[in-house]
Amino acid sequence: MNKKNLGILAVMATLASGCTSMGVEPWERDILAKDEMQLTTDAIEAATDDHIYFSKEASSGGRGFGGGGCGCN
Amino acid sequence: MKDRNSKSVSAALAAATCTLLGSGASAPVQAEEDPNWDFNSALLYYGEADDRVEDISLSFLAKRLLVDDRSLSIGLTVDVLTGATPNGAIRQDVPQTFTRPSGDSIYTIPAGALPLDDTFKDTRAALTVGWEQPLGRLWKTSVGFSGSKEYDYLHLGLNGSISRDFNNRNTTLSAGLALSQDSWDPVGGTPIAFAPMLDVGDTSNKLGDEDKDVIDIVLGVTQVVSRRMIVQLNYSFSDNSGYLTDPYKFLSLVDGTTGDTLTRTPAPGAEGPSHEFRFENRPDERTKHSLYGQTKYYMNGKVLDASYRYMTDDWEIDSHTVDVRFRWPLGETSYLEPHFRFYTQTAADFYRISLVDGDPLPAFASSDYRLGEFDAITAGLKFGWETDKGNEMSIRAELYQQDGTIPSSLLIGNQIGRETYPDLDAVIVQFSYRFSR
Amino acid sequence: MAGRGPAREVRVESGSGCLAGRFSAMASPCEILIETADTDEARHLSEVAAAEAWRVEDKFSRYAPDNVVARINSAAGEAIDVDAETASLIDFGNTLYELSDGRFDITSGVLREAWKFDGSDSLPTRETVERVLQRVGWHRVDWQSPTVWMESGMEIDFGGIGKEYAVDRVAQQLRDVSGKSALVNFGGDLAVTRPPTERQGWRVGIESVAEHGPAADKVIELRAGALATSGDARRYLLRDGVRYSHILDPRSGWPVEDAPRSVTVAADTCTQAGMLSTLAMLEGENAEAFLRTEQVRHWCRR
Repeated sequence: MNKKNLGILAVMATLASGCTSMGVEPWERDILAKDEMQLTTDAIEAATDDHIYFSKEASSGGRGFGGGGCGCN
Repeated sequence: MKDRNSKSVSAALAAATCTLLGSGASAPVQAEEDPNWDFNSALLYYGEADDRVEDISLSFLAKRLLVDDRSLSIGLTVDVLTGATPNGAIRQDVPQTFTRPSGDSIYTIPAGALPLDDTFKDTRAALTVGWEQPLGRLWKTSVGFSGSKEYDYLHLGLNGSISRDFNNRNTTLSAGLALSQDSWDPVGGTPIAFAPMLDVGDTSNKLGDEDKDVIDIVLGVTQVVSRRMIVQLNYSFSDNSGYLTDPYKFLSLVDGTTGDTLTRTPAPGAEGPSHEFRFENRPDERTKHSLYGQTKYYMNGKVLDASYRYMTDDWEIDSHTVDVRFRWPLGETSYLEPHFRFYTQTAADFYRISLVDGDPLPAFASSDYRLGEFDAITAGLKFGWETDKGNEMSIRAELYQQDGTIPSSLLIGNQIGRETYPDLDAVIVQFSYRFSR
Repeated sequence: MAGRGPAREVRVESGSGCLAGRFSAMASPCEILIETADTDEARHLSEVAAAEAWRVEDKFSRYAPDNVVARINSAAGEAIDVDAETASLIDFGNTLYELSDGRFDITSGVLREAWKFDGSDSLPTRETVERVLQRVGWHRVDWQSPTVWMESGMEIDFGGIGKEYAVDRVAQQLRDVSGKSALVNFGGDLAVTRPPTERQGWRVGIESVAEHGPAADKVIELRAGALATSGDARRYLLRDGVRYSHILDPRSGWPVEDAPRSVTVAADTCTQAGMLSTLAMLEGENAEAFLRTEQVRHWCRR
């Protein structure tokens, strides 16, 4: 792993630890519990897009494991 | 109770209970029946302009919720692909003839046209199975299997992930690992790197099948920022090794001065290519790093979903992706969601338009437009609504446009002005239906 | 099942993302699921719950030799004065008697002398039932709070209300002493003290009454309120292919005909849920129609 990637991980670790003061109380999670506030609202749509862009571009993934699993790139 | 207004039984009972228990009674009952099964289905049409690729696909996703927050998901997708895709050769002012990948026949491209291989017909079936369950109060784990099969390609994969909550469940750290073992069994066999395209029936330039292994690691942190905003940051690492070349793509072998493809004549009595073509060759290793950030922000019923991804790899490809969606509720039961995506990538260091006759052969070369330098824009609109039975339907239509650049340093002689990036224009239409039972 | 029954001890065990206090009371396995990782807190709350459950059991059980129920039932025609809590339970029984046109009757307990629901085919004779029926009927009781007077031979039985009442009392106590969410579950009659914060709701499985098939057919997420079930899964008689449920109609002395196998109701309190599920069962083949008219969440199995 090169210096650039170590830097990225360090940023993430700092963010994770610096997040102790951020957040809401459990009874304030009503909006976050809504379907439309989930990070992935539609699993099939997300998988479809991942697959299309994996076939037509040189990048993949990001949100989770990245598409792939086909003979298109 | 038959001749009494029945409504009053509950009301009278509520009053009697209030007297019995005193007024320290609890809040009104909230009991939601968990659907056992959650089904999601979708029909997709993808079509590129200029008779290029067309795809119709049907997907099903079934999720069974079990007690204790455990769940089983099963997904099945079937794709039917038809159409043509650029084969990697440059345009010429004369017609060009190519041998099909099978080695059984030829096809001819008119003068001036972008060479497309239309033997690109395939049916693909993909299956995913996943199991998710909590471990104690703060940990969650999942395992999954994925597999897909098409005529010339098989994918088998396993994945697993684990996550833990912190800070009153406002912060979640997660780690995931996916392993894939894929194998190519190309029509006609795998071409030897840089081998020339031969006449029909001559398979001395082809070998058998090849494998490809992928290891993916994702590390992520999800953070609740406020009552209305959540943020996710992921770092992904991907290591691909094995056969990473496209067995159906090749480059034109050109004259160093004119830039025109060298011609050839097939053997007497045989059919074969009209020009010289060499099969492409990519490294057998590729390491990718991505950084992805996403936020969802709620504003009075409307939801903004914005994400950015940066990717870099050891093929010298860098890319940036910005994706924004905005969900706009219409009344109680429907919504409109415009979508905009911008993508840009730099070319792989072995990306080139053609091979020059007489020059030493490079270690790796490919003219696959997907490894070139381009920008892409997606613009779309989705409309979703809730049916009378409480199920969800939606339809989306999007336009996807790729606009590439060929650096002048890669163009020689007559290629300048004649050779342009095979820009892609595609339309995406998808209808989906979700219901629970 | 006479006497004290199983030992009176409280065990604290770990549940799925919660701690569980378990004990036996009112001939049922009881558990309190608490949204906490603090074992001491869980033990304290479980002991508070168990203490209240046993208090209600001892006070209103018809098996105890010396509680208020025993005094009323052995009064042999004498007037008996009762305390405030007993008075409010009797008032409740009185209201329910009128509300149900006599289908719910706290003096119907003596019918157990005629009926033994042991899965066999031994039905009582018409004469036996008629004879016992002479000692049933709330209209025969003179109730002027706090004084109750019954004919000799009649009995008051709080069995039809007791468990649900205990659930609600325990839930109230836990709500008063703790801000944590807890699920009080006495053998399938349950209530939530306050909405949980670490989950969407307390996941409750409704047991299928089928002889074969999966154990839990439906999962309900209870965020507030209560659930109670009336059913004949285990207590019934079977003769000539006819199933006699243990829900007896006090006006005839015979089991209700065509009652569902089980009725589960969700309501604000366990007492209401229990009464509604019992009243639904007493409606026999009209159980579902009754519940639909009452607009309560319900699940029936036939």
